[in-house]
Amino acid sequence: MENNEKTMLKEFAPQIERTGIQGYAWIVFLLAVIGLGLYAFIQQVTKGHVVTGMRDNVVWGIYIVNFIFFMGVSYAGALISGTLHLFKTAWRKPIIRMAEFITVISLLIGPCYILLCIGRLDKLHYLILHGRIQSPITWDVIAISTDIFGCFIFLYLAILRDIANMRDFEELQLPKWRKKLYKILSLGYTGTEEQKKRLERATDIMATMVIAIAIIVYSVLAWIFSVTLQPGWHSTIFGPYFVIAAVYSGSAVLILAMWFFRKVYHLEQYITKKHFVSVGLIMLVLAAFFGYFTFSDYLTKWYGSEKNDELLIQLLFKEFYWPFIISNYIGVLLPLIVVGIAKFRTIPNITLTAVVVIVALWLNRYLIVIPTLQSPYLPIQDSRIEWSIYSSTWVEWSLTAAGIALFCLLFTLASKFIPIVSVGGNTQEAKPEDVLV
Amino acid sequence: MKRNLYKILILAVITILFVPSLMQAQAKGDSSAVQEARLTFSYLCTSNDSICLTANLFVKRESDTYGLMGAKIDFYSTQDNTLVLLGTAVADQDGNASLNVIINKLHPGKDGMISYTAKFGGTPKYSSASATFSAEPAKLRLTFNVQDSIRYLNVIGTRKDAKGQEVALPKETVILYVPRLFSLLKIGEVALDEQGKGSLEFPADIVGDTLGNLKIIAKIEENEKYGFVQGTSTINWGVPKQYYKAEVPSRELWTPIAPLWMIITLIIMLAGVWAHYFYAVWELFMIKKASKKDQPPI
Repeated sequence: MENNEKTMLKEFAPQIERTGIQGYAWIVFLLAVIGLGLYAFIQQVTKGHVVTGMRDNVVWGIYIVNFIFFMGVSYAGALISGTLHLFKTAWRKPIIRMAEFITVISLLIGPCYILLCIGRLDKLHYLILHGRIQSPITWDVIAISTDIFGCFIFLYLAILRDIANMRDFEELQLPKWRKKLYKILSLGYTGTEEQKKRLERATDIMATMVIAIAIIVYSVLAWIFSVTLQPGWHSTIFGPYFVIAAVYSGSAVLILAMWFFRKVYHLEQYITKKHFVSVGLIMLVLAAFFGYFTFSDYLTKWYGSEKNDELLIQLLFKEFYWPFIISNYIGVLLPLIVVGIAKFRTIPNITLTAVVVIVALWLNRYLIVIPTLQSPYLPIQDSRIEWSIYSSTWVEWSLTAAGIALFCLLFTLASKFIPIVSVGGNTQEAKPEDVLV
Repeated sequence: MKRNLYKILILAVITILFVPSLMQAQAKGDSSAVQEARLTFSYLCTSNDSICLTANLFVKRESDTYGLMGAKIDFYSTQDNTLVLLGTAVADQDGNASLNVIINKLHPGKDGMISYTAKFGGTPKYSSASATFSAEPAKLRLTFNVQDSIRYLNVIGTRKDAKGQEVALPKETVILYVPRLFSLLKIGEVALDEQGKGSLEFPADIVGDTLGNLKIIAKIEENEKYGFVQGTSTINWGVPKQYYKAEVPSRELWTPIAPLWMIITLIIMLAGVWAHYFYAVWELFMIKKASKKDQPPI
């Protein structure tokens, strides 16, 4: 182990060895929120989907919105970490680990929302036994399961060096089982030339793969919507639009994670303003692309004057006025102003903008799913007004909060298992004074 | 200063997001006054000597109407100047309450008309409402015959006079329909003569079920004297429905197997991706193997 790596590990030792009162309070709070979600889930299982706002017309509610959102954040993490790794970006070291964690943790939570949406969980295995390749739902099942494997392999390769460092760092006061776990997981990595070469090669390959898979998988998710003839969904640009929206939301989540861990673990030395500005600039470029795609999509629908598209746009500007403005105007313009104008580029400003972007992108997914389902081509027979208008219930919000809490909890636990800033690898790059100036 | 600016910004966002909806919710919630309930009343006389009385109870809010689900509506008939309760029905989600009555139990007045009343007693929240309708019981019968290879649909209209005797229903227009998936398809109109009879050459191109069965509905609609009168019958004069089977490969998704291009594309993509995964895992095994190689012999 290099001296620089030892120095860094010494700095990170307290966050790995101990959890303070505040840390425990935070974990208990998250567990309480997850507990509320579990209670809501039991209500849903015992009483059925009637406890949600989903009815005959709007069969997809905020569960699907959360699914798209978490999957988007995951793909964004994969794209950002994969790209930063492949291009050997100089400033990547302090933030790449967070991007990798975001990828895997979001990928674990996202599909849970699909399960919450399914009425007959007891028949879930039919998807495997009787799955039809022609169905976009089957494409999604194949794509997501492939992605989960890929992202886990990539994360494992990325943290292998640090696991070996943790194994070798004797000053670290950890229980025996954890030391043993590090020993098993490190695969005997000692940093020999051959091991380094193999690890580099495998990581490069997996970085390429996670980028490609992220694009394909999120496109598949977009195609589930766009292959239907529903107004608002039947669009050829939905694939790239979803990918851009995903990376955009992911960059905002990454900024928020950077701000949180910088504050909690006092990483001011490692995560500097330069990192916020760099990721902020990525967010700015993506905001411009997202704005362009959104405008292009709505403009062609509006200009085409197809009856149902017109009705949908009217609905967006009337019933969903504020979500539409926040999602497609404030969510696009704010990063352009805050990050675009050098004077406004401060860490709090960029973080606050990231929060607004996260809310805007969540609303964007809401506006894609709900208004279209509220205006079907054929009215269902014996339809009541409350069946066609969607209104989410406390059960859905509790499970949404539980998903966010689980994301935070897994992120927190992951940071207790391995340093949140990458330690291993090229020590020249790891030294903050070399890379952050 | 900066902190204050953030606080103001957050407060502004919260205000923009929640205040309009709160105000709207409060405006909607302020509904302590008794609301005016409205009742509409319709009547359908069918060929099996029964009538169906339907009342619709609703309230009007802004520009929309809302049915009063669960409301109890009493139906009466005026017999010798007194109201006789025929029955009570509960309104469904649209505010509709229906009651079927056997026509023979009712006694018409001197003019042959029977008067019906629907009443909603009201609740602390909704006002009471009532509606009245008078009609003379009538009946439509359908018969079919073939003459010189031409198919005819015959309609016979009758009404009950003050003595309860069936007499001809003259000079009325009867509209003929066949039910389709979402609505009724009009196939023609018949004007009844002095004997209450009329006929129509039956169209030869209407699609029935697989055996050619068709349900025919004859209606007198919104008549001042008779209200709605309806008669139905079934005949196998329709064109038998035949399901079309595509002879060439089509792109529908319910084919037994996926299109070949889809299977090939999927296999190439999955094979490519998983081959790389296996390669990465194999490299991990090699890393493990290299560590054993470096260990000194025991």
